[in-house]
Amino acid sequence: MGSQEGTMFKDVGILGFGVYLPRSRIKISEIASVWGKSGEDIERSLGVIEKTVAGIDEDAVTMGVEAGINALRMAKISPEQIEAIYVGSESHPYAVNPSATTIGEALGVDHNYFAADLEFACKAATAGIQNLAGLLKAGLINYGLVIGSDTAQAKPHDVLEYTAAAGAAAFVLGRNKKDFVAQILDFDSYSSDTPDFWRRDGIPYPSHQGRFSGEPAYFTHIQKAAQRLLTKTKMKPKDFAYCVFHMPNGKFPGEVAKRLGFEKKQLEPGLVVGQIGNPYSASSLLGLCRVLEIAKPDELIFFTSYGSGAGADSFVFKTSKLLGKARKRVPSFSSYFENKIYISYPTYLKFTRRI
Amino acid sequence: MSNITPVKIWRHQKKYAPFLGKEGKIISWTLIKAPPVGYEEEAPYPVVLVELQDKKRIIGQLVDWTKKDLKTGKKVKIVYRRVGKVDLEGVIHYGIKFRPV
Amino acid sequence: MKIAVLGVGTTKFGELWEFSPRALVKEAVSQALADAKLDLAEIEALYVGNMLSGILGGQENLGALFAEELGLRCPAFKIEGACASGGLAVHSAILGILAGIYKTVLVVGIEKMTDHKPEQVSAALMGAGYEEERMAGITFPGLYAILARVYMEKYGITQKDLAAVSVKNHYHATLNPKAQFQFAVSAEQVLASPIIADPLRLLDCSPVSDGAAAIVLSSKFKTKGKTPVYITASAVATDSLSLGGRKDLTSLLATVRAAKKAYQIAGISPKNIDVAEVHDCFSIAEILACEDLGFFSRGKAAKEIAAGKTTLNKGKLVVNPSGGLKACGHPVGATGVKQIGEIVIQLRGEAGARQVKGAKVGLAHNVGGSGSVAVVHILKNE
Repeated sequence: MGSQEGTMFKDVGILGFGVYLPRSRIKISEIASVWGKSGEDIERSLGVIEKTVAGIDEDAVTMGVEAGINALRMAKISPEQIEAIYVGSESHPYAVNPSATTIGEALGVDHNYFAADLEFACKAATAGIQNLAGLLKAGLINYGLVIGSDTAQAKPHDVLEYTAAAGAAAFVLGRNKKDFVAQILDFDSYSSDTPDFWRRDGIPYPSHQGRFSGEPAYFTHIQKAAQRLLTKTKMKPKDFAYCVFHMPNGKFPGEVAKRLGFEKKQLEPGLVVGQIGNPYSASSLLGLCRVLEIAKPDELIFFTSYGSGAGADSFVFKTSKLLGKARKRVPSFSSYFENKIYISYPTYLKFTRRI
Repeated sequence: MSNITPVKIWRHQKKYAPFLGKEGKIISWTLIKAPPVGYEEEAPYPVVLVELQDKKRIIGQLVDWTKKDLKTGKKVKIVYRRVGKVDLEGVIHYGIKFRPV
Repeated sequence: MKIAVLGVGTTKFGELWEFSPRALVKEAVSQALADAKLDLAEIEALYVGNMLSGILGGQENLGALFAEELGLRCPAFKIEGACASGGLAVHSAILGILAGIYKTVLVVGIEKMTDHKPEQVSAALMGAGYEEERMAGITFPGLYAILARVYMEKYGITQKDLAAVSVKNHYHATLNPKAQFQFAVSAEQVLASPIIADPLRLLDCSPVSDGAAAIVLSSKFKTKGKTPVYITASAVATDSLSLGGRKDLTSLLATVRAAKKAYQIAGISPKNIDVAEVHDCFSIAEILACEDLGFFSRGKAAKEIAAGKTTLNKGKLVVNPSGGLKACGHPVGATGVKQIGEIVIQLRGEAGARQVKGAKVGLAHNVGGSGSVAVVHILKNE
């Protein structure tokens, strides 16, 4: 894609990132016991043992605000400097009324910013990153904020119930290389019309086409986008310290990583789905944040998100020397990851407003 | 019965940004077991009187709490959450609450 | 100028399902006029104390409403100050007389609360508080619970000490045929009642009640056939609306200020008071009131009350002989007027089984919100 080869985006990068995970967790075995299933079997087949559940007074906006506060603090810029906000979610609190401006107001962003809410299943926020990169590269903005946030819902007794989770990740992007904690070297996408997973307007739960979400959907799009980017950048899997892929469950990322030529040790550090589940638009980005928490300077990260419907956004990131010091400024991914209490299925129904 | 309207929410929401993330300590607390209309889903919940670092005192709900957080002097932080009952058609009311540090 | 309380009247307080606000007001007023031996035509103005008629009943403009209901064609006003509405109505009436504009006025306090569910009443009462308090989902028991906790931690007072207030007031109410609850409660029962807002329990809290009370004030007419009683001071003070704005959470500064002014106007000190009706919306409120009114020193009131120092036939100063808000009931707008009525009956020597012997000087104390406004009246007999 694009008219140039090689690193197109020399001067676009991440200045700060922040996460938010709700405190409550429900175990897969707790859900399974309600439906008379074997928790162990499901844990094994999905590669997930527990997932996050948003509190009754939380939503994609409240979580996005906290992640945003953390990202701004790490970036050390004042909210008034933000000139664009994109929020990607499948659970925007409103069908019409932007999360971007509610979050912007709460963060103290001034009024001179481009804003929009995005939807593209689980890759809405990474599409936001691509949009910001364009605005930054064109010099139309100096700083932008992108947030992926979801309180994913699933129909009771559906297999998605075991993984649909809640969380948010926020990134402040800029175009001054000396501020980057990680640079965006390049990105690419692969998109098609593939109805593997969808939710009609006004319907509370998503539907999916079972195994169709596998090969023709997840695998095809991630592999195609990834291979295209690797070719364009003339890079090989072994060049990367880490790889992060969208995590609908604990199995798919390992399979796609293997097919693309990555090794387990590159994937495992960012494979957070086992204990947080799949918070849709925040899923792959939370994996990226987890990796950024432990990465050393000048390491390459290969990243590909996936959104049903369908599309995949592939990125190459390179960490900088600023990363180590910057990430100490805010509560870490681990601090949210480890701060948890377990809830029962009835409480889960109460929090997700089914009872 | 709620008196909240979109215009009031709009005025309120302009005021939150400076408070979010600020820390303070609990001066006194109570645990509400008999809630007023609109708060039934959340009950029981603690409400705390907090003194912020600039000595300003505000009252708010305490979230993500356990019993051992309910004590005078406990450090808390201001967070952004939904307020009151979710009305299916109206504007969502967001506000500030406290979370134990 | 001397302002005499010519007549008093109170309905029973309680869950009065069959009685409308109009019926309650008519009952209280007819008692007061009969007690005053005065004709309705002598009434020159009507002051109505009420808080919730609009929020709960959708009805405002109570001055005009009750003037018509009572057959009066005089100036009429609704006065509102949350739970101090009744006391503020009395204060406003006194101002009209002191200004020389009216000579004989009728004050009515009225509240109808049981037409609505407890959760709705709870939310409506929070109209007396501050917006951020309402957003937090706190209730009135919750606001006073916050005060209680500060007091208890500072002075080492326990829930059992708080319970003594309810025990005393229930005992007094067994002697008051108009009281909502005419049964005694023990400290054990109070401590076994469910928590409403920790640490306050159900039996620490005044109930939801209906009721009306009325008094006739005059600078012109003389009391006939009974001991005259005069209001010798009426003072009001305010403090911050929210608990967040208070300087000291172990005191209601509004009470301290209003009391200081009242004692000054009446030319007396706290130790001159023989009988008092204070604002015990919650047990802790009576404890704070006794200190704020100067009856006991700081931190001592709870133990003194528990020791019986303000109990009928035990203490020198009797507090809440009517049963207080807790046991007599608390129809919000009526309370402040009923308090005056109770003091008048005491100072006339007409209180029967609950008579405070030899009472000459009395005090009525009425508070709005969590202490944002306080009214203190001092009465003397002749």
